[in-house]
Amino acid sequence: MSDQLELASPPFDSISSVRFSPTNAHQLLVSSWDATVRYYDIASNEQRAKFDHRAAVLSIAFSDASHAYSGGLDTSVRELELETEKIYNLGQHADSISSICHSREANTVISGSWDRTVRFWDPRASTAQQSSHDLPERVYFMDTVNNHLVVAMASRLIHIYDIRKMDKPEQTRESSLKFMTRALACMIDGQGYATASVEGRIAVEYFDPSPEIQDKKYAFKCHRQTIDEVDHVWPVNALAFHPIYNTFASAGSDGTVSIWDHKVKKRLRQYPRYHSAIPSVAFNSDGTKLAVGVSYTWDTGEEGAKTAERPGIYIRTLGEEVKPKGWTG
Amino acid sequence: MAKKKNKQILRPWCWYCEREFEDEKVLMQHQKAKHFKCNMCPRRLNTAGGLAVHIQQVHKLEPENLPRIENALPGRDGYEVEIFGMEGIPAPDVADYKRRKEIELGLSAGSISQPQAKRPKTENRPLTEEELKAQLEAHKALMGASEAPAAPTTDASQGGVYGAPPQAYAAPPTPAVVPPMPGLPPGAPPFFPGMPPPPGAFPGQMPFPPFPGMPGMPGPPPPGFPVPPFPPMGMMPPGASPPFPPPPGALRAPVPGFPPFPPGASPPFGAPGMPTPPLIPGATPMPPSASVTPNPSQYTPNGPPHGGATPSAQPPQLTLPDPTLAQTNPELKKKTSLKYEDPNFSPDERRAIHPRYYFAKGQLASASESKTDAAQISASDESRGKKRARAEDFL
Repeated sequence: MSDQLELASPPFDSISSVRFSPTNAHQLLVSSWDATVRYYDIASNEQRAKFDHRAAVLSIAFSDASHAYSGGLDTSVRELELETEKIYNLGQHADSISSICHSREANTVISGSWDRTVRFWDPRASTAQQSSHDLPERVYFMDTVNNHLVVAMASRLIHIYDIRKMDKPEQTRESSLKFMTRALACMIDGQGYATASVEGRIAVEYFDPSPEIQDKKYAFKCHRQTIDEVDHVWPVNALAFHPIYNTFASAGSDGTVSIWDHKVKKRLRQYPRYHSAIPSVAFNSDGTKLAVGVSYTWDTGEEGAKTAERPGIYIRTLGEEVKPKGWTG
Repeated sequence: MAKKKNKQILRPWCWYCEREFEDEKVLMQHQKAKHFKCNMCPRRLNTAGGLAVHIQQVHKLEPENLPRIENALPGRDGYEVEIFGMEGIPAPDVADYKRRKEIELGLSAGSISQPQAKRPKTENRPLTEEELKAQLEAHKALMGASEAPAAPTTDASQGGVYGAPPQAYAAPPTPAVVPPMPGLPPGAPPFFPGMPPPPGAFPGQMPFPPFPGMPGMPGPPPPGFPVPPFPPMGMMPPGASPPFPPPPGALRAPVPGFPPFPPGASPPFGAPGMPTPPLIPGATPMPPSASVTPNPSQYTPNGPPHGGATPSAQPPQLTLPDPTLAQTNPELKKKTSLKYEDPNFSPDERRAIHPRYYFAKGQLASASESKTDAAQISASDESRGKKRARAEDFL
């Protein structure tokens, strides 16, 4: 297919996360269970650098075009210098790091871990760790927009922080989905966020606590298929908002990616099914490409890994389908 | 190899209506004409997705009220599955179709549907008399002459079963010459722990191949090697040890479903250096070779995950940090197949404690005091680098 390109030299084991540079539309980072972070140039389809880690890497985040931060099972927060290929160790968590993000507003690196803390890091300071904040549950996913930090945890808990006042959460919520949270992403316009669960469902929620805004929140089913009157329901593993149109992509263990317009509650497009589950998707900075990581997501444990197919990273060129109907700019 | 064989037997067929065709070209023409034809204009599309997009964009129909795909079998008239000729057919449907085809063609079960690779890797031919004799001799030598006389007697007691038609393995055993594993050592582990099968139920249902490590069996055992059924007690020669486990209850039953170990191998449980297979009762038995010989072509967890870095560290069990927050999945109204069911631990957490990935915490504590640069890290990661080289081989 011409609208899609498969990257050469994908990781050897499952992909945990794919992330584009915030400024360069061709730079892509991919973290993997094979204990590497790979740095690709998608324009020339080549692997520019590889960063070896001690254990599987679960999360990766860019700060600017030449720096990124990684975290994973080895519990270290690492700074990766993309051009010089150097790795700096910023510090430790007490358990695996499940999520890393970078806040542009505060120019801070934020890491979340299964040790039930969120920690803030400043790579330029002599002691990189700036603060640590205790949470009631294991952190699964985090995302940030403007000054909001949304932390999705185990036991379906969600905390919303203002990153300028981290002493206590601005709001604590229970997920409106009845099953384990499996993905989280904040809207580009800063109005709210979307979460997804292992039971093929996505919730769209808003930050503003006023009742009329909260009334707008909703959830819907997706990534499921009825075969012989049995509903097959796959986890939704990834969500990503389009940087310009604020529509979002969802990806599931069923191997499909859908584009949604959450304002009019419509699906804009479903792409043909990939060969395996999709652990992560990301839009690039100008919204012209969607990176799709395709690999086994351990839904059926070790058994499933035996028959798992080779991981792949696909770069899809986007067309009008990501634009909401009647978009005027 | 398996695929080639399928192609010889199965002709291309249409997933929507299960019609067969001479070749894929005709099949695609059929699909265009019968299933991917727009009923509002003469246009014919190549795929269901194409048709859906066409109807949505040209005829401005909402995705919810797309017409079902025409001329399709019930349940197959949706747009979810992207079919193009023979491509895109869901695996369960392929398997189901093959199974029905087998029955229709009067082939033995598994001749199409069973992937060849899954068959035990035994040489599929009856052994010649000489080879069998040689094997018998070798076995006798190994077992000591004293037990040898037991063999012919047990052999004689089993004529009836040998006549039973072989089911799973194509080559019939040569009845007269197959030695029924003469004189197993007394106290040898039973073949089917916890499940001594009825005589005659055997050759076709053997869930795993004969044990490759069987003493006195150099080379592959003959295909369809009949496991000697339990001889009637009365027929048992005095002093001969039963070639088969006594009836249930007589022996301490090992864990059901646990792959038996070849006699003469080290004891199955707690043996140092031997990976402990999962002790799940009722789990599908797997060939013992799978748990003894690491197969490089499989995604097998082999040893500590990251080189020598964590030799002593055992992955812990997953525990809830705060049990009061424990979750349970709510009941689902409809009949549902939920692909991930654990309400308390994410797939990533489960994966992280798998020996392949497990990383003992704290071993980094000393190294992480100050900023380390890449050179240091990669030096200490040498062993893990080797591990990846293996992964590369496999891919």
